[in-house]
Amino acid sequence: MRSILNKLLTAMRGGVNELGEAVVDGQGNRILEQELRDSEQELKQAKQELAALMAESASLARQIRSEQDNASKREQDARKSIAAGQEDLAREVAERIVGHERRAVELTQTRELLQQRIAGLKERVQRAEKQLADYRRELQVVKTNERVLRTTAQIDTNINSQKSSLNTAKETLERIRERQAREEDRQTASATLEKELTGADLDEKLKAAGIDGEQDAIDNVLARLKDSPAQ
Amino acid sequence: MDIQTLTLALGDSTHAGRRFDVMPITGDEPVLQVTVSGAEETPVYLTVTDTQILCLAYLFDEQELNPERLNELHENMLRLSVPMPLSSLGKTGDHYVVYGALSPTSGAAEIMQELVTLAENAIDLLQTFEDYLA
Repeated sequence: MRSILNKLLTAMRGGVNELGEAVVDGQGNRILEQELRDSEQELKQAKQELAALMAESASLARQIRSEQDNASKREQDARKSIAAGQEDLAREVAERIVGHERRAVELTQTRELLQQRIAGLKERVQRAEKQLADYRRELQVVKTNERVLRTTAQIDTNINSQKSSLNTAKETLERIRERQAREEDRQTASATLEKELTGADLDEKLKAAGIDGEQDAIDNVLARLKDSPAQ
Repeated sequence: MDIQTLTLALGDSTHAGRRFDVMPITGDEPVLQVTVSGAEETPVYLTVTDTQILCLAYLFDEQELNPERLNELHENMLRLSVPMPLSSLGKTGDHYVVYGALSPTSGAAEIMQELVTLAENAIDLLQTFEDYLA
């Protein structure tokens, strides 16, 4: 990932931004995509193998348990035979027990080897998954970069072809200010209109001329109260 | 969300009291120019890739800037990029841009929110950085 980012930065600083000048060439891109496909393939195979080995290990565990169960069952048989004085029968059962125990030991050894292979394979799967995520991220960066370059080139060509919309930041700012001024004017106008409709503007004018309806009312009440003093 | 679906959705909709004027930009890449009402001066360009919906608005070009204050401007742009809602600041070619990327699974409402925010942010940023123009 770091090498890709460095390549991109070097190319950008060098001004490789024109249309058709891909920063990481098509060849590099194809190599990345091939590596991605190879990793995906490897991961798929490793996972299938892992699943098969795990199934085999589970089957072995079942077989081991079965041999151990049989051995302990036969031990009871052997004890009963001895108690019944059937020495020959007990010997025959003992032979069976030895057979079960041997198979259990053999199967356990096989299973241990299998567990080691499973552990190794799990590690391989994890490595492949990590590598796959790395490749995907790299490819995404490269592809997005190319897309942005192609897109902006397309926008520029388009803007340049219709001269009217070719704007400098200063012209854009001028137009923003004009619109904001228009909006402000509209707001002022609508506020004025609202005042006129509610008569608030007239009240303001009267107040400014020293004619205050509210104050007059209070004065009138006071005068009335003074005319009829409390008894 | 592909370009065609989006063109139809934007043409018919309003979001937060805004209307959208959509114009396809001719060329090999699927690019839309979206003008947001009330922020017409800063059109937003939108393109859809496999991994993201990329929206961007142009701020200014390098040659429009006062070269002596470039470092100061860059520092301020980096600082403002973090708190700015739904937008980041960047540079592609000579263009300084404000942009936002959305998941390709985003719905029309998220995309409209992004477009409105981006157009407004572009205006605020232009006015904020006006002093750095040559």
